[in-house]
Amino acid sequence: MSTDDLETDLTRKTENSPRELLTRSFFFLCAALSVVTTISIVALLVTEAAKFFTLTAPLMGVTGETASIVDFLTGTTWQIHNKEFGVLALVSATLMITIGSAIIALPLGVATAIYLSEYASKQARSVLKPALEILAGVPTVVYGFFALIYITPAIGVVLPGIGTFNILSASIVVGIMIIPMVASISEDAMSAVPDDLRQAGYGMGATKFDVSTGIVVPAALSGIFSSFILALSRAIGETMAVTVAAGAQAKFLNPLDPSSYLEGALPMTAAMVQLLTGDITGGGLAYRSLFAIGLVLFVITLIMNIISDYVAQRYREAY
Amino acid sequence: MATQSDTDQIQGFGQVSRTTGVIFRYLLMGATMFGIVTLAILLVYVANDAIQPLTADAGWYLVFFVTFVAPTTLVGAYLYRTNVDALKLGLLVVGMLAVTLMFSGGVAIVFVDIVPPLVSLSYAIGLLVPFAAVVLMTKYEDAIPFTARVAATGAIFFLSLFGIPGYYHSIPEMVQKIPVVPTEWVIITLVFGGVVAVVVGQYFARIRENTRAGVVAGVAALAATGAAAVSGMFTGVNPTALAVVAAGAFVPTAAYAGGAALTREEERIGLLLAAVVIGGSLVGAGIVDVLGFAGPQSWVDWQFLTSSHSGTAENAGLYPAIGGSILLMVTVAALSFPLGVGAAVYLEEYAPDNVFTRFIDVNISNLAGVPSVVYGLLGLGVFVTYLGQPTGTVLIGGATLALLILPIVIISSREAIRSVPQDMRQASYGMGATRWQTVKNVVLPEAFPGILTGTILALGRAIGETAPLIMIGAPNVLFNLPTELSSKVSAMPLQVYAWSSLFASEDFYTKAVPAGVVVLLAVLLAMNSVAIVLRNKFESES
Repeated sequence: MSTDDLETDLTRKTENSPRELLTRSFFFLCAALSVVTTISIVALLVTEAAKFFTLTAPLMGVTGETASIVDFLTGTTWQIHNKEFGVLALVSATLMITIGSAIIALPLGVATAIYLSEYASKQARSVLKPALEILAGVPTVVYGFFALIYITPAIGVVLPGIGTFNILSASIVVGIMIIPMVASISEDAMSAVPDDLRQAGYGMGATKFDVSTGIVVPAALSGIFSSFILALSRAIGETMAVTVAAGAQAKFLNPLDPSSYLEGALPMTAAMVQLLTGDITGGGLAYRSLFAIGLVLFVITLIMNIISDYVAQRYREAY
Repeated sequence: MATQSDTDQIQGFGQVSRTTGVIFRYLLMGATMFGIVTLAILLVYVANDAIQPLTADAGWYLVFFVTFVAPTTLVGAYLYRTNVDALKLGLLVVGMLAVTLMFSGGVAIVFVDIVPPLVSLSYAIGLLVPFAAVVLMTKYEDAIPFTARVAATGAIFFLSLFGIPGYYHSIPEMVQKIPVVPTEWVIITLVFGGVVAVVVGQYFARIRENTRAGVVAGVAALAATGAAAVSGMFTGVNPTALAVVAAGAFVPTAAYAGGAALTREEERIGLLLAAVVIGGSLVGAGIVDVLGFAGPQSWVDWQFLTSSHSGTAENAGLYPAIGGSILLMVTVAALSFPLGVGAAVYLEEYAPDNVFTRFIDVNISNLAGVPSVVYGLLGLGVFVTYLGQPTGTVLIGGATLALLILPIVIISSREAIRSVPQDMRQASYGMGATRWQTVKNVVLPEAFPGILTGTILALGRAIGETAPLIMIGAPNVLFNLPTELSSKVSAMPLQVYAWSSLFASEDFYTKAVPAGVVVLLAVLLAMNSVAIVLRNKFESES
């Protein structure tokens, strides 16, 4: 850090001239905007959601219809017209999308990462990596259309009981779109494993298979785990694919029952889009429920991002 | 192990079963290919639905095979075997033509239907005049104190663009009030074509080291633009649009190809590929037209690109959504580029290593993980509810999308800035430069290609976003192009969503939606390929 001190010394005399002050303040404001964004998101979601609940609405000075916070968090029926706001119906659908996409994306993503980091030639890697990036670059509404029009009928050939809107095909496309995220972060972690460890393995007579599964993967485990959490957080927040393909009718389904994946349900994000495309009046109960779901969604994804950061930092093997 | 006999151990010594390793290797390969192959199959399906290649006459295929496919394959194979660099040059020229055609088509939409040429010209002059005044002022940098210069700059720009209502007209108003103005295509040819001609002229003057060559090339470029516009008056195509496309696509591509032919003797043969591709498709189209063979009944056709939504899938079009996406992207770029680069410069060049800096750092990476639908809520809550803006306008749509991609722009700009060697900064500081001078003269120019690549990729993310636009109340159906920042906006992905869920019918599923998907993916492909070409150029230079 001695160079930084040098630069500070060299620029000290000029650092408070009007020009320097002006430019530095501008750059600082740009950086501070990200903090303002976060604060606005939190403040907005909290205040609007507070107006939704019976418990907190008086604090906000809101009179009129409210919903019980206990019913919201434990209810399993989501019917706006009957004023039933049980978010678990939405959470169960989101959970199913997450489980379904995890079953696809996590093994495939890790396998891709092992292949790219341990097996692929430099040339193959230079082709495969951009190709994988395309998977994440296709707009999600396009994925939703693919699921609805091509994948669901294809599954229907094998499983005739499948509905037009179903969790299964939505999970498949969400899984495909988060593969690159798992693969690229895991691959970074595997590439960071020092070659000495691999050489030591080979020196003991281990095969490439032994080295990959016995040395590289365990050494990169924290990075792999953090990629899992980040990708799942992305799957939870995924909106358009599930809105188009997963269904429009909120239903509480059992995520552990495989047959329920053939039914349609309404994940949290899709419910938010549905609330807005339906005719809701600004300021009504349905409008505020939007922010209540948004708060739940934001808190879940934020916690997952923080856990992912923590795991990557805390359990990183330092070499 | 203990039960094995000694002889067994000796026989098996040093031998390892390869089966597991081989199976494992192929499993991994299969896993890597799974997503790519699945997406490829889906793309083939959607392209088949949108373009319907099987509906064309056999004669149509025959003609295009003879005039286009066979010569292209032959030339391509020859170049691949003899001179790969020449092949790359040929592909680059073909790709450049395709991409510039697409983007200049977008610019043409802007000039024809969104901002009339006279209005855009008036604002261009309104910006140029104060800019020239500021440049003049910096010549006398020492005579005027800095604070006075800043105040004067602000005042000049404000007076020029807004005037003083009641007393003094702004420059755009004055320009628009000029009683005698040339027609629109003349304005475009002179201004837009003129700028392109100057650039082309300078390019040729540089490579030929000869001013006259530059002048000739510039005049030729301007003449070509004018000729394209005039030809529009005879064929019934909008001359303004033709002038834009000529100046934005044909002239630059021809200039690049001509420059390459003059300077790169080894690789100029690659231009043959471009000639065969362009000539072959033109000749093929001509023959097909004369012989009356019907092409495929593609749903992605001129009608689809130029008409607005309709209740029947055959007549539905994407035009208002294309125009909306263009305006949104301009707004998003104008907002997110300066803010994102500014934040990146602060974090890399200025920020002291303290708690607040670390907080911003963590905060940005967390913002990148916030679901897009939550950004939509932010736009709805802050811009619509608290600031009282009307729903679904270009401005709040652009602002919401800009906030969404800001973390991505910041992260990629920081990487680009970090890759500038520390030595260059130290050299600048050693010369007595201040921090701002170092940033302006050393860091930003060096990091610019990387920043640009990152921004284009982030814009590619923004152009595919639908959820935030729905949240801020963008209309599902729009029949007119948005003409100003406060008019309602639609966007390509939003239109695709509306067709696939609100107008859900077999007709829309098989016609309008696949066509919309193909157009959206083509635009994304063009943006990403520009970013990749820029990145490769940047990497090979540094």
